[in-house]
Amino acid sequence: MGWIRKSPAARRYFLRFVPMMAAYALIPLFVGWVIHRFHPSGALLYGLAALPATAIVVAIVCSGIYIAEETDEYQRNLFVQSILWGVAGILVITSVWGWFQIYTQICNVPLVWIFPFFLCCQFIALAALKWRRR
Amino acid sequence: MNCLQKNPATRRYLQRFIPTMVAYVVVLLFVEWFVHRVHPTGALLDGMAVLPAVPIIGVIAIVGMYLAEEKDEFLRNLLIQSMLWGLGAIMALTTVWGFLQIFTPIHRFQPFMTFPLFWCFQAIAVGALQRKYR
Repeated sequence: MGWIRKSPAARRYFLRFVPMMAAYALIPLFVGWVIHRFHPSGALLYGLAALPATAIVVAIVCSGIYIAEETDEYQRNLFVQSILWGVAGILVITSVWGWFQIYTQICNVPLVWIFPFFLCCQFIALAALKWRRR
Repeated sequence: MNCLQKNPATRRYLQRFIPTMVAYVVVLLFVEWFVHRVHPTGALLDGMAVLPAVPIIGVIAIVGMYLAEEKDEFLRNLLIQSMLWGLGAIMALTTVWGFLQIFTPIHRFQPFMTFPLFWCFQAIAVGALQRKYR
């Protein structure tokens, strides 16, 4: 976590990203509660289902802002590489799982787990890259 | 597309990227044909389901190589930005679809579609960004 303390851009990223993740965790709870309580339909239901995605889009915009603001090229490259590994990880998982779902009796993974899986892949990649270049 | 032909890193990227995407389609068609024709089970079926992931890893490695080789910072940033937009779009889509799947009787989204859709969104983002920076 040293890079967050050292780099002002990373600090700003962290300050933007964490509230977005909190929103991402809380909005689905709120959406679930509203749907179960009021049973909306049509456009309102679709709007409510779209609500948690806003936190994800803002979180990814925060990543873009961090890449633009980070003046330390090494840290920026590290972050971009970790995103690439995260993308690779999630695309491989969804492709393999998708084919398993078609051809075998494997359970369905809810789609809402794709974003948390991506973050896990990215975090593991970031830690591995930092460890490798220590 | 003019800048693509002039830039050696971009040319190499396209020379690697296009055959790998073709390989992805060929592998998909082969797996589909093989599973329906031979009806494999056990480890062979698992191997067949994992096979399409190989070109996916190849594509991501090619993107990583391009980012390392590209000397033009503008083009490098263009790719990073477009991938971020692609990522944002696919994460938003899967999250919205995931919640709709939970709360409504919507058609089931096939996870293996994440990979082609990600590149569709990325291509749209590249086009939009190139238009913006023209």
